[in-house]
Amino acid sequence: MLLFVLRRLVLVVPILIGLTLLLFVVARLLPGDPVGLAAGPNATPELIASLRQEFGLDQPLPIQYWTYLTGLVTGDWGMSVFTRRPVFEDVLTYLPATLELVFAALIIAVVVGIPLGLLTAVYRNGVLDYATRTLALGGIAMPRFFLGLLLQLAFAAWLDILPLSGRYPLIEIPPETVTGFYTVDALIAGDWYALRIALAHLALPAIAMALSPLATIMRMMRASTIEVLQQDYVMTERALGLSNRLILFKYVLKNAMTSTLTVIGLYVSWMLGGTVLVETVFDWPGLGLYATQAILTQDFMPVIGVTLVIAIIYLFTMLVVDVLYGVFNPKVRYA
Amino acid sequence: MTTPEPLAIPRRNQSARLENWSRAFYRFRQSWLSMVGLAIVVALIVLALLAPFIVPYPEHVEGVTNTAARFQPPSASAWFGTNALGQDMFSLVLVGSQVSLFSGLAVVFIAVVVGTAVGAIAGYFGGWIDEILMRVTDLLLTIPSLILAMAVAAALGTGVFNMIIAISLTWWPAYARLVRGEVIGKKEEQFIAAAHALGAGWPRILCRHILPNIVSPIIVKASLDMGFAILTVASLGFVGIGVKPPTPEWGTLLSGARSYMPDYWWTAVAPGMAIFLAVLAFNLLGDGLRDVLDPKARR
Repeated sequence: MLLFVLRRLVLVVPILIGLTLLLFVVARLLPGDPVGLAAGPNATPELIASLRQEFGLDQPLPIQYWTYLTGLVTGDWGMSVFTRRPVFEDVLTYLPATLELVFAALIIAVVVGIPLGLLTAVYRNGVLDYATRTLALGGIAMPRFFLGLLLQLAFAAWLDILPLSGRYPLIEIPPETVTGFYTVDALIAGDWYALRIALAHLALPAIAMALSPLATIMRMMRASTIEVLQQDYVMTERALGLSNRLILFKYVLKNAMTSTLTVIGLYVSWMLGGTVLVETVFDWPGLGLYATQAILTQDFMPVIGVTLVIAIIYLFTMLVVDVLYGVFNPKVRYA
Repeated sequence: MTTPEPLAIPRRNQSARLENWSRAFYRFRQSWLSMVGLAIVVALIVLALLAPFIVPYPEHVEGVTNTAARFQPPSASAWFGTNALGQDMFSLVLVGSQVSLFSGLAVVFIAVVVGTAVGAIAGYFGGWIDEILMRVTDLLLTIPSLILAMAVAAALGTGVFNMIIAISLTWWPAYARLVRGEVIGKKEEQFIAAAHALGAGWPRILCRHILPNIVSPIIVKASLDMGFAILTVASLGFVGIGVKPPTPEWGTLLSGARSYMPDYWWTAVAPGMAIFLAVLAFNLLGDGLRDVLDPKARR
């Protein structure tokens, strides 16, 4: 087991090196002049030249890449040409907000999606089954940003029970930073007032992000549960007189989880990459907004930094998924 | 001794291939959800094609404003209301369907062509060609595609074609993976060995013998992807990268409506519902095609 994890971790290194190389080449092949944009329309050629020198953009590409690669290890992920701030620090600032949103959405999707999938599989072709299946079809097709707008309209503008946007009111002081997750920090500080505010702000964006994964997880869970329920061993268990609850939760659930796990893993990266849409709607100060800002100014270092972080989290999630396979299915347990 | 009568084969008035297709269509018709999807898709395409002739206020699409009629709620003269510039939302959404459907189709088409070429070559030749092509493909698959598409689209500059190129760039790897797997499975078959024996070269074997046999999974994936391509196009428009006004595009229209949201909700609901409907219709159609063409995946 440990060996398996270690081997996978070692394999991550060449992938990341290849990724930075690819991103670097793509960034340089593309037209666009970040320094010119950052310096403004009235900049003299001398100013632009000195700026290029400052950011090392006058060096040949292989040398730039080498500088970047060696910097990565020491936590120097380059500088933003536009804001002149180090990318690594910025990424660390914005990452918790995005992760909090993604985790919240994932929890909603899993906690609602898996029981619903089980239930609809057991009570197949019932009223609940048809209702949730129709909702799921719509949920997959619903654009996150449009759903976000509709939620804002309903819960913030008309019902006025949840805040419209943002992560925390500007006039209030967020709980002391420990993890960077406002909800967890509030819990650690034992500050129930702050927890309520943080959850209220988190609710709408998390739901907007969760609907599509929820629908897919539910469909996947329903399909695999139906398949497992038709297996011979389930009939044997029934014949032995085991209770339905025991069969469902002890034997069926575990076996139906494996294919659903893959989907959950893939959705983590999908949500991280698409967080920008929900963050735009709700003005959520996360990686997505940070990346958009950088993209609009053609500032490539932050874009590469954000992409790299998301890729690392993606690879890590896939590793966790592979380890979890073994938990649910002893046949694929790793030596 | 009598010579055995030659077995009489009943004549058919349909060729075998045609019969296969009509059987497939019969199965497709059995699912009313697929038929609903097909109906909406056909309706959308017809509307998009007819848009220039039936648009009620063509001048609004060109960018003409009518500030006297700002934020009119939906009514008989403006079905979806008017926006901040007094333009008829129905006209904008109607003409916007052209951009969205065309870009979606173009993205999937480019992705299929490039992905199939790369995947077929990698799968057929194997060895170091396969190794290099697939490593690049895998790397592209780890990158969050929306961010990459945004970055490329922003660098190339605004415009429908630049946006199509940017999104296609992030979409072909999935097809390359799919086609490679299918080609590897097919190239060991007997009929390929027979084609080799007859002296067929690799382009002929690939194009005439392998590709026609792996068309189904590609069609299924492409039809399921159409909806997501439209969604991605709208997403880029929504974050402000991609098509710029006055060209009407659903995502851009929705993003423009955001600032007037609680009070003038209709400016957002019309383009948003259009995106939702288009994605839903293509998903239903894709699901139906998958059930017909890929019976193993049927649940």
